[in-house]
Amino acid sequence: MEKEEMVKKLTPIFRNVFGDETLEVTDELSALNVASWDSLSHMLLITEVENQFTIKFKLKDLNKMKNVGDMMAMINSKL
Amino acid sequence: MVLKKIFSNILLVFLVIFILDFAIGKTLRYFYFNETSGLHYRTTYSMDSTNAEILIFGSSRANHHYVPEIFEDSLHQSFYNTGRDGNGTFYQLALVKTILKRYTPKTIIFEYSSVFAKGVEEYDQMSSLLPYYKTHKEIRPLIELRSPYEKIKLLSEIYPFNSQALTIAVGNLEINKKRTADDKGYLALHQEWPYQLDSIADEKKIEVDTTKVRAFRECLSTAKNMGIKVYVVFSPIYRRYKTNQQVDICRQICHEQNIPFWDYSKDSFFLSHRNLFLDLLHLNNNGAVAFSKMIANKIKHYKTD
Amino acid sequence: MTFTSLNFLIFFPLLALCYFITPVKYRLYTLLAGNYFFYINVKPVYALLLAGITLCTYYFTRQIQKNDKESIKKIYLIINIILILLPLFFFKYFSKVNDFFFSALNSIHIRWPLPDIKLLLPIGISFYTFMSIGYIIDVYNEEIEAEENIGVVAAFTSFFPLLLSGPIERAKNMLPQFKQLKQPDYNSIFQAMKLILWGYFMKLVIADRIGIYVDIVFANSGHHTGRTLLLASILYPFQVYADLGGYSLIAIGTAGLLGFKVMLNFNRPFFATSIAELWRRWHISLITWLTDYVYTPLTFTFRKYKMRGIILALMITFIISGIWHGAALTFLVWGFIQGIYLSIEALTSKRRMQFEKKYNLRKKGWYIFLEIVVVFILFAASQVIGRAENMATAFNIYHRIFSVSGPLFIGDAPSILIYSIIGLLMLLIKDFTDEFAPSQMQFFNNKRKSVRIMAYATIAILILLIGVFDGGQFIYFKF
Repeated sequence: MEKEEMVKKLTPIFRNVFGDETLEVTDELSALNVASWDSLSHMLLITEVENQFTIKFKLKDLNKMKNVGDMMAMINSKL
Repeated sequence: MVLKKIFSNILLVFLVIFILDFAIGKTLRYFYFNETSGLHYRTTYSMDSTNAEILIFGSSRANHHYVPEIFEDSLHQSFYNTGRDGNGTFYQLALVKTILKRYTPKTIIFEYSSVFAKGVEEYDQMSSLLPYYKTHKEIRPLIELRSPYEKIKLLSEIYPFNSQALTIAVGNLEINKKRTADDKGYLALHQEWPYQLDSIADEKKIEVDTTKVRAFRECLSTAKNMGIKVYVVFSPIYRRYKTNQQVDICRQICHEQNIPFWDYSKDSFFLSHRNLFLDLLHLNNNGAVAFSKMIANKIKHYKTD
Repeated sequence: MTFTSLNFLIFFPLLALCYFITPVKYRLYTLLAGNYFFYINVKPVYALLLAGITLCTYYFTRQIQKNDKESIKKIYLIINIILILLPLFFFKYFSKVNDFFFSALNSIHIRWPLPDIKLLLPIGISFYTFMSIGYIIDVYNEEIEAEENIGVVAAFTSFFPLLLSGPIERAKNMLPQFKQLKQPDYNSIFQAMKLILWGYFMKLVIADRIGIYVDIVFANSGHHTGRTLLLASILYPFQVYADLGGYSLIAIGTAGLLGFKVMLNFNRPFFATSIAELWRRWHISLITWLTDYVYTPLTFTFRKYKMRGIILALMITFIISGIWHGAALTFLVWGFIQGIYLSIEALTSKRRMQFEKKYNLRKKGWYIFLEIVVVFILFAASQVIGRAENMATAFNIYHRIFSVSGPLFIGDAPSILIYSIIGLLMLLIKDFTDEFAPSQMQFFNNKRKSVRIMAYATIAILILLIGVFDGGQFIYFKF
């Protein structure tokens, strides 16, 4: 999937999960620069992403995603 | 180069610590021995100044249970109570050693406060003796029982006065004399125990600490060898029990040395008078007066026997 | 030997000396020998247990690494975890379980002569057990590779600064440091010394002093007034923070002097503005461990239930944390309460955020202060249960706080409370400036050398003056 398309699909998910209507999805975005991104919202995010792209992550995959860039690469590998 | 810098800085810190420790420690020492009332003062007075003919040795149970005027009136001897809260056999021995080095009193009562079971508490309590380590050679071996490092710790001037700064300050105040006025060492407690008599299960077999037993023996023999009349008393408690191994040890040591051991812990008069107690282990002033009368009377008649 | 014993003050400089004069090639083994000497000093038999767990961990991680088949890896993983957890369960819970069965059988009139085993918990066992388990799971999850050198693994599981009470470090952070030993530089040496000194201050001046008061009050909670119990309940969280936090700082500092970087364990917990944040600042090494190896797998498994799954995972995680603290109903309830707190926060977080945004509250000092206070009260209230001997006592304490009037118990030693307050104020001021104005009031890192030197010396002198060195300090509790 093209990056632009993916960002388009991810943006509403991120904004909804983190309750921030101005959040911009970039490669570098991670838990470090979003205040409400904690272990709790992280899992909600994962679930929403899985549903959106109809993919299934493995537990191992979770640890490998350090930022949104990693996540997008991971999603692509599953599609 | 880095190594040199590190060491010179560490050395500098230690130097500053050393100077501060010396200055503050010396100041604390000066004011400690300048106190005019309170626990510290009473210990210093007991060790260095008292010349009473009757002396009481022991813990809080000694301090709050033996009333001066009753003994003085009954036995016509001067009296001082050296008992100190939260101190036991080792404290008794330290005081016996320092006092008997100065003079020979006529009568000594050791309140049974003896814990012969293994445990560090009694050693820890000897922190009350640390200020006297420098000036009283005779108690040094006792203090060194606390730990193998005690000598090293005592290189610090502050260490003997650890946690005492406030108490020292208060002991130098005039008001404190009135606040905790003592009567020849004796401090009266006023209040009554509001709860029912309880009984305690006999304690399980204890592991005996021979150092503590030896210390108690030494207390008795040192005094006895100087021709002093020695009595060991177990004053009343508000608790029922059947047997106690530590009391048995005490009784046996007294028996060996031919010293009377008077056990009031099962005295039915006291056990039936809750109003004479402050709590399970302490008589209040009324109790102390009643108890002191009994003991003074007993000594009086024991003498004439 | 504990950090606060003089033995340690002799052991550590000697070990450091030996360590640095050993050629770099063999340093790991000097350290390893030091680690085991340290632990044997506690009790020789325990060292065997530690060695056993280390061997087991080494063997199974290698097997997991070597095998390609997922199912075999999983079997190895499970066997290994069970083997490592067995001693912990045995020592920590056996006598409780034993007692439980005994009384259960007794109640239906069967007197089964179960052996009365009172085992002494090998000190530190839960810490190295958790460190080992973390390592195994990381290898299984391909987070890190299984270490080939058994010396490195052994040095990790037995690393003496962390051995007795953490921080519970991770293989990912530590193993590379053992493989590539570093020389500490000038700055890190002084940072480490600062941590050690401050750690001792927290432990000896604050925790042990407050402990004298808290112990005597909670030991006789039925006799104390509401005011007294309230004060003890407020002081208790500070005691725990100063105790474990101080101990952790000494651990981090000693590791630092040998050139190791160890994770932070407490991060000014009482400035947290939510319970969730508190748990990110309190006993961090345990909580991140639980997050990674219990909570995350659980939420992942339950993820299709969304919020309900998360709440279930939270509850299970904190109940496990509670049981880890001790095998008693009080700890279970304590864990349960933390779970409830966090669940409520999770359920209301969105609405709270909107509310705060609407009135711009996050920028208002009074609001943050209010949150800090509320979080502290909630936490302190839960800690009463963790501290009480049983649930009945805990409820009685709550009851008395609200119903029994009377004077504050000071005992015959007001100095104990006064020294506690002096220490506590220093801690709070330090934490406050670190939290809100990190560049202000620098003493340890002051530009002027004389101030720095005085800062170190003053803390040392304060420890000498008002630290608690032994049981000679106590309150005489006459009712």
